[in-house]
Amino acid sequence: MSPFVFLFGMALLSFGVRNVKILQPLSIVVVIAAFGVSLMHTATPLVGFETPSSFILFELVLFVVTIATLLHLEQTIAITQTLFLVATALLVLESNTLVSFVIAFESLSIVSFILVSFIRTKKEAQGAIKMFISGSVATAIIVLGVALYLLEGHSLLEAVSLEVKGFGSVGIWLILFGVFYKLTIVPMHTWAADSYAEISPANSAILSGIAKTVVFVATFKTFAPFLEKNTTFSEPILLVLALVTITLGNFLALFSKEITKILSYSSIAHAGYMLLAFVSVKSAYAQNALLYMAIAYIFMQTALFLLVDKLSDSKGELYLEDLKALGKKDKLSALFFSVQLFSLAGIPLLAGFLAKAVMVYALVDVNLVFVALFVLLNSALSVGYYASIVRYFYFEDATKENKINPISLKVYFAQAIFLAGTLFFGVFAGVVFEF
Amino acid sequence: MSYVALIFAPLVFSGFLYLFTKKSPLAKYIVLGYFVFLFVETLFLYLQLPQNGYLMLGKFLEVKEFGFILTLEIDRLSSVMLLLTSLLLILVTLSSWSMQKESAYFSLLLFFSGAIFGVFMSTNLMWFFIFWELTLIPMYFLVGIWGGDGRVYAALKFFLYTHVASMFILLAFFLIFKQTATFDMTQIQESMLVTPTLIWWLLFVGFAVKMPLFPFHTWLPDAHVEASAPISVLLAGVLLKMGAYAMIRFVILMLPQEAHKYAFVLLGAGILSLLYAGVMALYETHLKKMVAYSSISHMGLVAIGMATLSYEGLSAALFEMIGHAFIIAPLFLIAGFFHYKTQSWQMQDLGGIMQKAPYISALFVLAGLGALGLPATMGFVGEITIFLSALDTYGAWVAFIAFGAMIGSGYIIWTLRRVIYGPMSQKVQESNFSISWVEFFALAVFGIAIVAFGVYPQALFDAINEVFSAYNLGGAM
Repeated sequence: MSPFVFLFGMALLSFGVRNVKILQPLSIVVVIAAFGVSLMHTATPLVGFETPSSFILFELVLFVVTIATLLHLEQTIAITQTLFLVATALLVLESNTLVSFVIAFESLSIVSFILVSFIRTKKEAQGAIKMFISGSVATAIIVLGVALYLLEGHSLLEAVSLEVKGFGSVGIWLILFGVFYKLTIVPMHTWAADSYAEISPANSAILSGIAKTVVFVATFKTFAPFLEKNTTFSEPILLVLALVTITLGNFLALFSKEITKILSYSSIAHAGYMLLAFVSVKSAYAQNALLYMAIAYIFMQTALFLLVDKLSDSKGELYLEDLKALGKKDKLSALFFSVQLFSLAGIPLLAGFLAKAVMVYALVDVNLVFVALFVLLNSALSVGYYASIVRYFYFEDATKENKINPISLKVYFAQAIFLAGTLFFGVFAGVVFEF
Repeated sequence: MSYVALIFAPLVFSGFLYLFTKKSPLAKYIVLGYFVFLFVETLFLYLQLPQNGYLMLGKFLEVKEFGFILTLEIDRLSSVMLLLTSLLLILVTLSSWSMQKESAYFSLLLFFSGAIFGVFMSTNLMWFFIFWELTLIPMYFLVGIWGGDGRVYAALKFFLYTHVASMFILLAFFLIFKQTATFDMTQIQESMLVTPTLIWWLLFVGFAVKMPLFPFHTWLPDAHVEASAPISVLLAGVLLKMGAYAMIRFVILMLPQEAHKYAFVLLGAGILSLLYAGVMALYETHLKKMVAYSSISHMGLVAIGMATLSYEGLSAALFEMIGHAFIIAPLFLIAGFFHYKTQSWQMQDLGGIMQKAPYISALFVLAGLGALGLPATMGFVGEITIFLSALDTYGAWVAFIAFGAMIGSGYIIWTLRRVIYGPMSQKVQESNFSISWVEFFALAVFGIAIVAFGVYPQALFDAINEVFSAYNLGGAM
């Protein structure tokens, strides 16, 4: 049985279980079972869906992150939605023909619309609608792309053709640009900057942490051969997009005061870093670089948004001011928060550093030395805002009664899983390279 | 015991120390005990070294595809640095005996020791870089939490400035890997490189920031002034030494031909640092800032010694590095002590301390005289040997060094006149200069070292001379 069947079955079953105290452990056990199946390579793939062995590691990481995420959730509806989303994400990841990719991708969009449709405040409604509209635009573009691709007589039932004729390649590029909406590549990023900050942080964790990362890996898997064939054309385009995304994301984050806003922009900047793997696609390191970045990013981003969700007040707002002296009030939360932030900043012995290092090395490998320097300096400057968040935890005294919610033991445990992931992949690089 | 534990055990245990020794003074005893053990261990390793080349301590975490192997190897150069570092760590621990928030403070020191040992022990460029960057984290917190009023700004500036500079280093390492297919610094030959000039410049800029050399020094006065005194010692004695060590190891020993081509750049940066920082120190009325600039000025001297590219010059530079650590440390500690007692950094508020605290003042005078290069102190030996080797290589250019030495004696003498001697100021009158014996002991060790190695430098030179004999410097200039 495929791990997808486990997750999808559990998601359906969860409608019947209305007690979160039962549903949560049950779904975690099922995800662990899916992990086991995936690890043993015993899954019988569905038609059009198959995970190549080099992507199994990412799938395993996805399950670990799902378990830690489920531990954070307190409502049955949230657990159900997460299970559906991860199951669909798995389909996206496993798709190996163009049609299965497009269908799985669109299903993922629909599931994420449902996820954000659980609206409590006006602000969340704003975020959800922005996401829905841009998502629909993306879908329209993708459908147009598919139509053009079909028009030239290519088959959707195979992987992307390497000999694309005439308008077919325009079609492929349209599909890519549609997908870039979801991947928050500048200039298709505007919805994300608002949405991630406006919807509830737990949903942002799932969308910007899990869904986006999976789509990135799947897009690379589907389109890398095509891009590799057409580097003369694709390299400059993607390069400009990536550099603009990184720079803009970093600079906007620098001037934000709200934590979720900073994380949203940092998420956009990281989309830029991941896009670099598409630029250096000719390098033998590109695929590992993307996988590494995806693994590092899924841990850090999901952990941070979930932690923010737990710390923020009932209105779902959390400003830097509120985090003053967190190091004194809640030692562990401050520690988890700082380590993940340093990982995002690319400080060594954390996954974020090695991911960026391999990514930049892939650029050097295809002789883009000065681009590599630009990216490195950009990343170094981003320390400015990450380190200044940490500054609030430890260097400042509390000025007013900060409203920090107490954190339960279960959440500490879940955060410890994320932390372990960030530390593990910061030291044991061999796992990614040799899996 | 596997030697990799010397790096990772402190990193891991520092977390536990922070979380579990909240209320008890246990942390400082544990950390002190560990640092003493570390010193003994490094001494033991030093005695095991082969005459030439590296002592292999083990390979870990191999990633073949990316040449990414944690190779621990030490040679004479790195073990001298390890000895200096572990000794300073003990003395820094003693001088911070009465520090606030001690469990956090000492666990950060412990963390720092793991990272810095990684820097000096790993011969794989990637792992070297990882530990190099990792030292920033404890320093960021140590400056930012225990510093003065401008600590947050200083800590951020320090972090950002040196982190940005490190990116040049990382790019250089990537280029090296691209061109030689290895990150192992013992395997890399200059002749294997395609673009040695670009790599040399990237490395030079990256390490010059850490050393720091003019015009890349601006982060240091801020960090030095805002950090608490023991942390300033750590900055000057260990972190700057890390920059100088890397400069010798990569910019000079790994790329000797490029170093010959661009030695004048190193010389120029050294002379400018010496003079510029000297003049700044002369102007300064802030006691600690004066010490900070004098520290930069001495690192300029170290750079001049390196720029000679001769065995004598490099040995002299290494001697000066060690001497600088022993001389600047008591200056920072005593300056911090004066501030702690009088609440003032301004020299005009001090004055006549000699009458109230004769022993400490005497140590300050001794260290000051060491800094200006009085014979029979380590400062003199370092300065004169650098002077002589530079005279050999560069001839008339040494006039600048003489001029720098003159400025040096100017600011030291003038400072001593204003702070230690002269009429007693109101603030000094009101203050009580008692010091705990632990802190005084640490100061006394520095004082003894300054004189001992000043009178009998051969003891140190015996060790240092062997450091460079194994290297081919590409012929004398």
